[in-house]
Order: sequence, then C-alpha cells, then structure tokens
Amino acid sequence: MNSIVAIEKVVKVYRVGSEDFTALHEISLEIEPGAFMSFVGPSGSGKTTLLNLIGGLDQPTSGSIFFKNVKLGELNRTALAEYRRKNLGFVFQTYNLLPVYSVYENILFPLLLDGNKESAVRQSVLDMVASVGLSDQIKKRPSQLSGGQCQRVAIARALVKKPALILADEPTANLDAENSFQILELMRELNKQFKAAFVFSTHDEKVTKYVTREVGLEDGRVCWDKRRNGFGSLE
Amino acid sequence: MIFNIAWKNFSRQGIRAVLNVVVTALAMIAVVFNISLYNGFQAQTTRNMIRTDVAGGHYQAPGFDILSPTEWEDHSLKVPEVLKNLPPSQKAEALVQQGQLFPNRRLYPVQLRGIDINQTLLDLPLEGLKSYREKVEDIIPAVLGIKMAQKAHLKKGDTAVLKWRDRFGVVDARDLLVVDVVTMVNSRVDGGVLWLRLDHLQDMTQRPDEVSWVAVAEFQGTVQGIEFQTVDELTSDILNLIKNERRYGKIFWVILIFLSGIGVFNTQILNVFKRQKEIGTLMAFGMTSAQVVGLFTLEGSMAALLSVVVALVLGTLLFTWFQSVGLDISHLSESTIPVHENILLDIHPGEVVSTMIIIVCIMVLVSWLPVRKITRLDPTLALRGRAIT
Repeated sequence: MNSIVAIEKVVKVYRVGSEDFTALHEISLEIEPGAFMSFVGPSGSGKTTLLNLIGGLDQPTSGSIFFKNVKLGELNRTALAEYRRKNLGFVFQTYNLLPVYSVYENILFPLLLDGNKESAVRQSVLDMVASVGLSDQIKKRPSQLSGGQCQRVAIARALVKKPALILADEPTANLDAENSFQILELMRELNKQFKAAFVFSTHDEKVTKYVTREVGLEDGRVCWDKRRNGFGSLE
Repeated sequence: MIFNIAWKNFSRQGIRAVLNVVVTALAMIAVVFNISLYNGFQAQTTRNMIRTDVAGGHYQAPGFDILSPTEWEDHSLKVPEVLKNLPPSQKAEALVQQGQLFPNRRLYPVQLRGIDINQTLLDLPLEGLKSYREKVEDIIPAVLGIKMAQKAHLKKGDTAVLKWRDRFGVVDARDLLVVDVVTMVNSRVDGGVLWLRLDHLQDMTQRPDEVSWVAVAEFQGTVQGIEFQTVDELTSDILNLIKNERRYGKIFWVILIFLSGIGVFNTQILNVFKRQKEIGTLMAFGMTSAQVVGLFTLEGSMAALLSVVVALVLGTLLFTWFQSVGLDISHLSESTIPVHENILLDIHPGEVVSTMIIIVCIMVLVSWLPVRKITRLDPTLALRGRAIT
C-alpha cells in the first residue's frame, strides 16, 4: 500500500435525539504522501466527520481507517494520542490557539509536548515563524492578531514538528478573500517545502484551484474524486 | 513540562485567576471567622463566669441552688475550718438571701449577695463597700451593677427601702444606700443583685459566720457536710446554651463550607467550560487524557495553594484589626449571657487548618472532576465546546 491513509468502507452513525443520523455511508479512499487535497461539500455532507475520523478524534461505526498500515480502530486512547502527537498537525476553522501564549509559545507547544527542550528547538520555531511571515509579531498573543495572522500561527504550529499529515478543517472559512488567498498560497508552498500531506475540508470554491485532488461529498457519500497533474484542471 | 505549562496557564489568566483565588481566600476567611467568633463567645463567657462568680468551683451548703430563690433561706452553713483558713486570694465566702427593694415606691424582688469584702479571688468592683464598719448601721451600704441600677431607676447616692427576713422568719426593713454603681462583665451577677458586705448580711439575717457557698481557687478535697460543685457543674446551664448555639454554629459552618464549595465549583466549572475548546485542542495535539486532567488539576491546585497564602495574609490583617475592636454585643445586655464586653476571636489552629484543607480539596476536586469528564468523552465534542453545556 503506497498511501499514508487508507479508508475502507467507513460508516459513521450519530445518535440525534431518538433517531440515528448516518453522516458517512461506506466511504473508501486513499491519501498519498505529500497530497494537497480537499474534501468539498455543503454543510452536513460529512467533511469534518471524515477529518475527525482520520485524525483519530472519533471512531467509525463500521469500516476501518489505516495510517501507514496501522489500523486506528485497534489503538487505545493513549496510543491514539501518541498517533496524533507523532504524525498529525491540525488546523482549525477557529484557529484554536492557546490564548495565554504568545505566537512563539503557541508554535513551540507541540514540540514541548513531544518531549523536546526549548533550547533544542528554538531555532526551528523561529524559522517556522519566519516561514509564515510573523517574525515581527512573535511576542504577541492571539488576541492581538488578525484572523489571517492567527491562521498563519495555527499553520506554523501544525507544521513545526514536521508531521506526515496536516488536517485542516475549513481553514479559510473565517477569512476574507485576500487572507484566504494568502493562507492557501502559504499552505501550498509549505506542502512543497515540507512534503507533508495537506487534507482540507472546505466548501470554499477558491480552494479548488489550489488543490491537486478534490473529493466531493454529499450526504455522506463520495460523489466525485478529481485529480489534477501540474496546473491543469481537475479531472 | 506539565508543571511549567500549568504555571504559565495559571499565572497568565489575569483577572480570572485573581478572582478565583480571591473568592476562595475570602471563603476560607469567612468560615474561620465565623467559627472563631463562636469560640471567642464561648471562651469569654466561661472566663467571665470563672472570674466573677465560679472561680475554681463552689463548696455549697447542701441543697443550695442559685436557681431556687425561695429555698435560699433554708440552705446556709458555718464555714468549715479547712476553708476558713484559706487566704483571701484562695477563697471567697458568700451568703445569698432573698429581699425586696422599694425604689421609688416600686416593689423589686432582689437577690441579696453578701460577699467577703477582703477576698481577692473573684474580680468584683466592690471597693465602695470597704470603708464601712463590720457592724451594719442604720443605713445598709450596697453596690449595684449598671443593669440593676437602670432597672431599679437608682443611681449612686440614692436610697431605697430594703425588706428581708432573718433566720427566724422575722421581717425587717431598713434604708439602703447605693454607694456605687459599677460595670459587671457578667450580667448574672448584675441584674436583680444587690451586693452587700458579707458581715452586714450575716448580721441582718442573724446568721453569724454562715454562708451559702465558698468559692475556691481549687478543689480542697472532700469536706464533711458540704457539697463541692465543679466549674462544669456551675456553668452547665450557660455552657449548654452555648453548646446549642455552637451546634447551630457548626451547621452554619457546614453551610458556609458548602456555599464556599459551590462558589469555588462555579468559578472552576466556568473556567473549564470556557476552556473546553482548549482541552479539545490539547487532545488533538496528542496530549493523553491523563496529561490534560493532570494539567487542569495542577492549575486548580496552584489556585488553591495561592488562595491559602492570600487567605493567610488577608486573614491575619483582618483578624488583627478585629482583635483590636471586637464585636459589640451590647444588644445582648438584657439577656443572661454573662458577657458584657466586646467579643474577640478565639482562633483554633486545628480548625483553621481543617477549613483550609477542606476548601483546597474542594477546589482540586472541582478542577479534576469536569476535566476528567470531558477527556472521557469524544474530543470532537470538546473541540466544538459541547462536552459540558
């Protein structure tokens, strides 16, 4: 298997009140290393659910998800935490930065969590801050930054430990057009630079022209799976 | 690492952390203050009773009961030698009889309390009686407490007719002169009491050398024909009353602890509620449930420990000030509670420590419990801020 993520016949059913709601219907997909792809669809189509399942934040009702041939369903909570810590980076729609930390400390945090000493990783953090263009904001706290700047910090934080996979849930939803464009450009650049696979969930049309693969979801089913080579249109 | 993160989180929370710490510290102070005030009330009551009336116990005429005035005449005796030989600092002889005072044409039943004027065991401001001769003359000198003087509408220098019966049942009457009106810290030896010289009262009632009781500094052993009443026995009625009060005080203490706990719980749960997304984010980054719970519990513990420090500092300042002014309980002057002066705190270190431990435990518990619940749920709920609603 060449993929880093393999999704096999995944079903996710939620209990809503007294009724069951099926968010995903037997989804099967593979994600290649270094991919730059998106799950596209309207609200309630299952994009975020799928990202959460890949991230090990939620468990499928049936079916399996493999990360580098390891079945996530067989990992206990502690092992899942370790899986996320070692392999994944998350970017959230609402940034989810730690409010009492500075830009520098937010980006440093995942490295400390991984057992690194600050002195050993300081330069990596500074480089990452520079690569998202926030060197002059390094001491500021999230409340002192704009939405676009916060999302840059979130991206830097997700990338700093050089994970194999970045999961970004609607990363441009809270940004204006200009900032969305900058963030997407930045992520595409970092994707090339760090070779990490980026998987977005989005319903933003603008994202389409940046990704190399687009998976369309509707009512929890895959409706299309388009790929693009180079800068051509998605096929 | 967790400690550093917890400290950073806690120390940078600003006003939220300050409020959390101050509310908890004030809760501790309120609980300790309340219970110490009850302690002070009880201690002061006991002290005043001992100082002015009870001393180290009473050797009483068999059957004598201060609460049965109609039987006082029937229970007096001559002081046994073993007690008579004690120095004035070790004993105080007293004769208690019934009388009737007629101030301003009113009838006022009174307790005539004759006290050995040379005694120094009981702290009674009766110097006004010392200058009179041993033999009672035409006018009987008496000292009144302020409460008694007010009730009888008498002041220093006033006279009133006093009527009493001697040992043979013969009624006699004479003018009484108020030689002094004094402050009595124990209202039980003030209201309704006329203080006379013992030798005068013995002479008036034809009971030479007879007393109702002899207060002693300490137990002198069993004496033939006389009963010994311990301090506990002599103060049992008032101590029972205070114990009842104290029981209510303990209920109040539990309620205060409970309310403090609710306050702390509210503050902490709000804190955790506001930080649900942060908890979800930490879990998404790969923190284990145990690490997240440990982090928040550590933050709660830091707040709790800082609350203890703040409570100690603020409490010391507040209590020091309070001890210089006390609590005015003059509104109780009409009651039989033997406390007249301001109440001071009686702080028991054990109660301070236990109160602090309980509140610290509550704080740590309410830091641990909601976060533990969140981390056991699906992290996506925390990320959406819906783990606790």
